[in-house]
Amino acid sequence: MVRDRLLLYAVAAVVTAMVLAPLAAPGYVLRYDMVFVPRQPLTWDLVAPAQGLPRAVPMDAVVSVLTQFVPGWVVQRIALGGAVLLAAVGAGRLVPTERTGVRLLAAVGYAWTPYLAERLLIGQWGLLVCYAALPWLVRAGLELRAGRAGAVARVLLAAAPAAITPTGGLIAFGVVSLLAPRRGRWRGSTIAVAGVALLNAPWVTAALVTDAGGTSDPAGVAAFAPRGENWAGPLTALAGTGGIWSAQATPASRALPLVPLVTLVLLALAGAGVGLLRRRTSPGVSARLLVLAGAGFLLAALGTVPGTADVLRWAVAQLPGAGLLRDGQKFLAPYALLLVVCVALGAERLVTRVERTNREVAGVVLGGVLLLPVAAMPDLAFGGAGRLWPVSYPADWPVVAGRLAADPGGEVLALPLSGYRAYPWNGGRTVLDPAPRYLPATVLIDDTLRVGDVAVSGENPRLQEIRQLIGAGRPAAETGVRWVLVQQHRADQVDPATLAGLELVYQGVFLALYRNPAAPPSPVMAAPARWAVVVALAVAVVVVIAALFRRYAGGLLRGNLRSEVQTLEDWHA
Amino acid sequence: MRKALTLVVTGLVAAVLGILSLGGLAAATTATEEEAVSQAEELIEKAKQANEPDPYTPAIYGSR
Repeated sequence: MVRDRLLLYAVAAVVTAMVLAPLAAPGYVLRYDMVFVPRQPLTWDLVAPAQGLPRAVPMDAVVSVLTQFVPGWVVQRIALGGAVLLAAVGAGRLVPTERTGVRLLAAVGYAWTPYLAERLLIGQWGLLVCYAALPWLVRAGLELRAGRAGAVARVLLAAAPAAITPTGGLIAFGVVSLLAPRRGRWRGSTIAVAGVALLNAPWVTAALVTDAGGTSDPAGVAAFAPRGENWAGPLTALAGTGGIWSAQATPASRALPLVPLVTLVLLALAGAGVGLLRRRTSPGVSARLLVLAGAGFLLAALGTVPGTADVLRWAVAQLPGAGLLRDGQKFLAPYALLLVVCVALGAERLVTRVERTNREVAGVVLGGVLLLPVAAMPDLAFGGAGRLWPVSYPADWPVVAGRLAADPGGEVLALPLSGYRAYPWNGGRTVLDPAPRYLPATVLIDDTLRVGDVAVSGENPRLQEIRQLIGAGRPAAETGVRWVLVQQHRADQVDPATLAGLELVYQGVFLALYRNPAAPPSPVMAAPARWAVVVALAVAVVVVIAALFRRYAGGLLRGNLRSEVQTLEDWHA
Repeated sequence: MRKALTLVVTGLVAAVLGILSLGGLAAATTATEEEAVSQAEELIEKAKQANEPDPYTPAIYGSR
């Protein structure tokens, strides 16, 4: 038992090392939405964005607090390494089987999905944390269904990391709402569902108090719809857990013509495994897991099916919060988990049949299925074939941060107007502007998203106003910002007329900081509504602390060991 | 007989995995690099002709 557990962790560690090998080098991996900085200030805009949608609430607040104690590069490695490792171990432990090989198959399979690769390459590490928490959450949900003591606390502890992003929080809420309730056992499930709802409270509250409004540009539906990776189209890509909208975040191997055949093999194995899942879980569990996975798949497919895409476009433009659904592929996580579990069980069934005639061949088959995901997508190894690579921030960044810290107050406008930048010091990789997370001030970066030749408008009303002024050729001094940060990674991008009337405070190789003499320092006033987000955060923290207390205060060793044995027994009940 | 069957199955599995790995690696390295360069040049040229900004400016979040 212990040997098997160690083997599972060892295999998970090897997979993690293979995927994240470049992170052994010093520095920060900066790619698309993944931004880590040495010490992220705990500013109001990161805790409760006043004029933007809370896409990184409470993730940014969590990182800000953590980086007060440990450097950002450590947090990044713990987050990424922990996500891949725990995803693998969680999936391995979730499979209802007694065969170690089948557990290892699930572990490797879940840590080597196109979903994980694509969300890693687009830098959405918060979503990967949810992906890693998912098997643990499902397991805890099943324990709760079985009436296990302490299961509510385990549900809440697994849901807490998932809920650091709105999407992860919604997925966690869906999982618990569907798995936990059981006739006659309402108390525990009600507490669990209510607890997970409270874990979602920070981003919900932030969405209610922001000035951004809740609706989004409907152009985003087509721009962020699932994308076909090869001849088989977007629905087949989704069936193989891939299909992210961005070509740059898709491993090149996904374009191979053989990939749909691999998906077909996996689906066939999963189909063979569903029967075993039904037999080895308590009544209703497999049906609920199927509903969960099906719902995730449907949400992912919404943007690509003609009729539903129109409905989604309408919803995104009219219904506050519906914008969360526009990049629907991210909701595929529960489908990916069920697919992997069923593939593992299907492989077990196949192997059991082969074993009757030849044990050696059975081992080869199991090994073959285990290596199939790796063979089909070898370019996830080594940080997506070198696409993730740590770099160091140029010396300009701490200098500018120091200047702003010494003279606080007022907004900083980042020019040229662009949310994403490709710095030469970052190997030309595109990354979300690090300024709002690096600098101790309210930094305004353009929130328009350019996908190919489509511009998806942002929601920030302040930026809309600034875009209009700058676009009309007016100087930045008229926007009312106190500071202007010019990022000089491309020559001739800022019209000198835009900088008219500003005083140059710092001129570095990559950054230039200007002060607007027309705008006096203005301390950030926290509107009472923003305090509501802080209260919601405090409530979420209390939920986590209460769950921790419940989980570990009552006899650490006794509870742990017994629960592991009971879980295994329950699966077979 | 059993050994022969083992060898055949092992060989087949290894061949399939090998083909997939080599194909994937090839796609991830040489082929993609060339494709990416030619695709980028094509897009830049198209943008120039249409008098539009370079699509590889940092402002691009990604392309489909």
